[in-house]
Amino acid sequence: MKNTFTVVSAGLFAALMAAPAMAADKLTYYCSAQEDWCQLMANGFQDATGIKVNMTRKSSGETFAQIKAEASNPKGDIWWGGTGDPHLQAAEEGLTEAYVSPMRKELQDWSISQASSAGDKTIGIYSGALGYGYNEDLLTKNNLPVPACWKDLLKAEYKGHVQMANPNSSGTAYTTLATIVQLFGEEEGFEFMKGLHKNINQYTKSGSAPIKAAARGENTIGIVFMHDAVKQAAAGFPIKVVAPCEGTGYEIGSMSIVKGSRNLESAKKFYDWALSKEAQALALEVNAFQVPSNTMAPTSEKAPDLASIKLIDYDFSKYGSSDERKRLLKKWDDEVSTLPQ
Amino acid sequence: MTLATSSKAASVTFRNVKKVYGRDVLAVDDISLHIEPGQLVTLLGPSGCGKTTTLRMIAGLEMATEGQILIGDTDVTKLPATDRDVSMVFQSYALFPHMNVRENVSYGLKFSGFDKSETRERALAGLDLVGLNGYGDRLPSELSGGQQQRVAVARALVLEPQVLLFDEPLSNLDAKLRRQVREEIRDIQQNLGLTVVYVTHDQEEALAVSDRIVVMRNAQIAQEGSPRDLYELPNDAFVADFIGEANLVPCTVDSVDKDVATISIGSYSHKLPARGMAPGAATLAVRPSRVELQAGASEDTMDAKIVKATYVGSHMEYTVETEFGTLFAVSGNVSSVFDTGASVAMRFEESGPVLLPKS
Amino acid sequence: MQSPTKKTFPVLIFWIIVGWVGFLILPWYGIEDFWTFEWLVDGFPFDSDYAPGIFLITQGEKLWLAPLLLPLIGALFAYRVGKEDARYANTLILAGAFGFAWLIAQGFGIGLRGWSYGWLEAIFGTLDDRQFGMGYGAMLVSACFLFLLTQGIAARGAVNGDVFVVSSIGFVVAVVGVFVFFPIARMLIAAFITEEGSYSVSVFFSKFLSPRLWGLGCLSGGRCGAAWNSLVLAVLVGFLTTALGLVFALVVTRSGFRHKKLLRALTVLPIITPPFVIGLALILLFGLSGSVTVFVSDLFGVQPTRWVYGMPGVLIAQLLAFTPIAFLVLIGVVEGVSPSMEEAAQTLRASKWQVFKTVSLPLMRPGLANAFLLGFIESMADFGNPLVLGGNFDVLSTEIFFAIVGAQYDQGRAAVLAIVLLAFTLSAFYAQRFWLGKKSYTTVSGKGDSGIHPHMPNGLAIPVFISAGVWALFTIVVYVMIVYGSFVELWGVNNTLTFKHYVTAFSVRMDEEGLRWTGSAWNSFWTTVQIAAIAAPLTAGVGLITAYLLTRQSFIGKNAFEFGTMLSFAIPGTVIGVSYILAFNVPPIELTGTGVILIVSFIFRNMPVGVRAGIASMSQLDKSLDESSLTLGANSAQTFRNVILPLLRPAILAALVYSFVRAMTAISAVIFLVSAEYDMATSYIIGRVENNDYGLAIAYSTTLIFVMLLAIAILQLAVGKTNIGRRMSPPKQ
Repeated sequence: MKNTFTVVSAGLFAALMAAPAMAADKLTYYCSAQEDWCQLMANGFQDATGIKVNMTRKSSGETFAQIKAEASNPKGDIWWGGTGDPHLQAAEEGLTEAYVSPMRKELQDWSISQASSAGDKTIGIYSGALGYGYNEDLLTKNNLPVPACWKDLLKAEYKGHVQMANPNSSGTAYTTLATIVQLFGEEEGFEFMKGLHKNINQYTKSGSAPIKAAARGENTIGIVFMHDAVKQAAAGFPIKVVAPCEGTGYEIGSMSIVKGSRNLESAKKFYDWALSKEAQALALEVNAFQVPSNTMAPTSEKAPDLASIKLIDYDFSKYGSSDERKRLLKKWDDEVSTLPQ
Repeated sequence: MTLATSSKAASVTFRNVKKVYGRDVLAVDDISLHIEPGQLVTLLGPSGCGKTTTLRMIAGLEMATEGQILIGDTDVTKLPATDRDVSMVFQSYALFPHMNVRENVSYGLKFSGFDKSETRERALAGLDLVGLNGYGDRLPSELSGGQQQRVAVARALVLEPQVLLFDEPLSNLDAKLRRQVREEIRDIQQNLGLTVVYVTHDQEEALAVSDRIVVMRNAQIAQEGSPRDLYELPNDAFVADFIGEANLVPCTVDSVDKDVATISIGSYSHKLPARGMAPGAATLAVRPSRVELQAGASEDTMDAKIVKATYVGSHMEYTVETEFGTLFAVSGNVSSVFDTGASVAMRFEESGPVLLPKS
Repeated sequence: MQSPTKKTFPVLIFWIIVGWVGFLILPWYGIEDFWTFEWLVDGFPFDSDYAPGIFLITQGEKLWLAPLLLPLIGALFAYRVGKEDARYANTLILAGAFGFAWLIAQGFGIGLRGWSYGWLEAIFGTLDDRQFGMGYGAMLVSACFLFLLTQGIAARGAVNGDVFVVSSIGFVVAVVGVFVFFPIARMLIAAFITEEGSYSVSVFFSKFLSPRLWGLGCLSGGRCGAAWNSLVLAVLVGFLTTALGLVFALVVTRSGFRHKKLLRALTVLPIITPPFVIGLALILLFGLSGSVTVFVSDLFGVQPTRWVYGMPGVLIAQLLAFTPIAFLVLIGVVEGVSPSMEEAAQTLRASKWQVFKTVSLPLMRPGLANAFLLGFIESMADFGNPLVLGGNFDVLSTEIFFAIVGAQYDQGRAAVLAIVLLAFTLSAFYAQRFWLGKKSYTTVSGKGDSGIHPHMPNGLAIPVFISAGVWALFTIVVYVMIVYGSFVELWGVNNTLTFKHYVTAFSVRMDEEGLRWTGSAWNSFWTTVQIAAIAAPLTAGVGLITAYLLTRQSFIGKNAFEFGTMLSFAIPGTVIGVSYILAFNVPPIELTGTGVILIVSFIFRNMPVGVRAGIASMSQLDKSLDESSLTLGANSAQTFRNVILPLLRPAILAALVYSFVRAMTAISAVIFLVSAEYDMATSYIIGRVENNDYGLAIAYSTTLIFVMLLAIAILQLAVGKTNIGRRMSPPKQ
């Protein structure tokens, strides 16, 4: 009887259901980049494929927390954007799905190496170098010299003028810490952080907050990713971007498919599409000045040219691992953050 | 239509009912009581004696801890207020301030399955009965205290309950109105043949309206009887003093002869019903109005002295000092009065003083 | 005329039918997009995803649901024997309790991966099946069991055998248990879980004793722990908001001040202001490059500083935000002090000042204590202001947030911080009770009070007027800045006036498909309005029923009941958000990603205010009103509807407005619970703030303020006034 019913109902409603069933393809999209970029990506994908996109924008830390909390019953399909570390951590904890995209041949090496360091569970979609920006007006007003190197920031006259995020809460700041450690060695690196600590006026919670504060004149120098600083300059704020002379680290903005995704096919479609040059070209429309991972995607002339910046050989697999991260953060907590300013 | 004589008036029976609040606060202690249908029975007593609790147990607003309560032949001990066919008039009237008079009176009818037109007719009849015809559209706050009180009565009456309860219904009215309203209540009760249980702490009110009075003290029934019985034959000092004032005089029963006792108080002696007393020490209760004062001594008087004399319009109040203590006396004679300090002769009226079986 | 059976049976029949419908007809498990009814044509009722309980069992699946048939049949038996039979009550209690317990046990015991607990597997062996979250079928069946149980208990004579009251108690206990205690317990257990997933007490203590929580470095130039920061801030905010609230209440009630309405409006504004906005306005005024800072530094040639970032800024923002709450509490109390007591004191030769000090002020004690408590708790739980203005001043609420969303992702730490926070708020709660003691402060009697409040003594009036004036001016400036800020191109850099931000957020376009909501904010805006509109009446309803039970009924465990219903108020939203994610992402109750979880979180977060408002107004209603209704033949449900509710209109309005406004402006819990389909206005605004897009954030917030004003006006009209022809005594707290 069961079969009869099924057949009959299937027959009866096949025609009715066919059309909506096709259209019912959907994708739940967690986005950790800036809002307008996220929106543009969602709409772009929807236009390109007809798949309905439900987007949530949250910072990469929040998204990681959400994916972890939802692990036993995933709600999201794809996680796009945000610095690479939480993506690597998610891969390490088995929260994301391995996938090898046919688009790989068009990608930059750093993008592929990000993937291989995580067992193909994530991939690079853009990259940006660390640096800092300063508010020109405030610098002049306070008669401060123009900084050019990391070590410049230790000068006593910058006391109370430098801002960076708290490495405990921000991926950007952790990248800074890891960069300094790789650049100067661990011991000297921590001495640098202690020196810097004296000049810091606030450890912000979010990574790009220091340059945003600088843009609004609430702070003079902000240690951030250079593309974030460029964006503020492009928005009309008096911000100048500095690529530190000693060299600097960088992030790889990443993308991962959520493990247990309910719309795996749609997620893969998005994954491939997001690696295409068309999709990556969308960044320019929203003043996102990161370097795209697709070699054929256009870049803005305002964007910091990675080729002209002295980049260190950032060890993502070491410094992205949760053990190393915990060790460094604890050390920073114990030795740096507790010092008087 | 008018409200017909109630055919539903039912008796109320308490069988060993006990009410304990919390763990050990005894509000009503083992009361047994029977109220005949069509009677108005008053629960009388000082505050905290358990009379209101008793009333609320009839209403179903309190549940008896032990014992059994019957209305008519039905055991209602466990039945909540909603399901009992009882209405109550509250001390505060408890008129719903957001409903007008007609809505207030119709309120109970709405839940008793009457249709709209019947509800309306009954409500109007109820208002008619309490003389508030034409006040239907007013809000309770637009009525005087006496009118509000009548609305409360009408609201309870229209349901033609098996038992109608009054919880100190007159205490918020001034003295004049109180007399008028209590007579109206009594009239309605008698005309409709309702069973009414009435709580008050005003003995005069109780005497005026009741068929029977139940005097309560310390969670128990002190005495039960008709108003006249209670006034004239109180069982003990408490009842004697609570219902009308009484001078309590220690005396000696000298002899008992066929239910007539001869008592002596010092040199003074008096004959009165023995009420089962044997010779020996006893207490005599004498109402102030039964104390006679005269200027000159005669054979059956004793000497006394006026300590205080107060003129209160309709009568005189005297405080009198005698050989066995101070007495309180009232006298209707206001034309020739005794002054403070005057020496007088005093005696008790022939009938009136009673021996108290318990003291 | 009235037989007991006539009144009980419709209720029983109703719930029996509900139970059988849930078991026989509706899909047992949760279905995404239930309301599209696509499942009806998609294999229902045989497909195991959509099948009702009975179809699952008869097809040999999910056999652990079979025992649920027993209580459903038991209920029919109870119906047959009737209420007079002693077996009636016992059968119902047994059926309800067993059914409910079994439902919970199977729900928790069997999850997405078979047995949920190792020891179950050890006993019964591996289970080759699994189940998803419960759906409408299961929901109806559990409701049926719950109300069978309460009817059984009522039939045994509990609470005078009142089915409505027992069922209401059962209902409130069940929902508070599921939506307050269960998630909080889940969250707190996390404080004892080590990284490896085992339980340990030492892991709690290692996190609890951390110097980042209790450090006293700020006494020697370093930084203090978040616990001290929170505590000091909350105490300051509690005292200062109470003082300011009292100042305003005095101006309104005890002075000849003319523009009282204006003052009242001014105090309502901060309540309907979305979070962050006050903080942003303070930055724009007092930040390093803020208008006031620049003006002062130019004028006096002083070096601008970042003083506003940290404790001072957070304190000012919280004072602006929470003083109105203290005012609203105190106005009722200040008005409620019986004028005749003050007049009596005056005739006893006390001077105005002595009257105020010895009579008025002591009688306001309960109000002062309440206002302090509210200020304290609000400050403890506040999340938006410390986030924007905190600088290096860490407080517990933000620390909890970053413990979870930060790179550290430490649920255990978040749970420990939450425990500390909860301990603080609960201690404040008890301290308040202790301080008030058992004295009676009731001054509102049923009798009319024809006296008038005396004016303040001059010595008090002058400072009061000055502080009220300064505060009012400050508030006005802040709000003018907010509106102005929404109309400038780029604050501080390019001050050209523009509608750009409003256009971006709220543009609409007409095209062939009709009206198109093209603005970027519309999506979150409609979601927010919709969710707030659904949550508000439910919140008010649950709150008022609870208040009714608390004021009008006595039952065993009432104190615990009251504590439970007030608990969620003392728990900061961040904790609620995280605990909801933890508790409701997995079977048996799966709610994450739906709008329901937002609604539920609003109901239980805001319910305590509905309860308080209800209690306050219900204690003004003489109990004889209900009693007379009962003796007139109405049952307690009818009494509640016909007598209590109409007289509670002010409380209903207050609860509705409060929960609506809170749902529109809440952020801390919301940020965890929003999903792609259900994005809320506040979470959208955060996104803009994070993006340095202050213009859009402020424009959106300004719009929300006006929408809320409009909504309040509509609610006021809808609920209307109860005409009782006399002045109602003011609600007292």
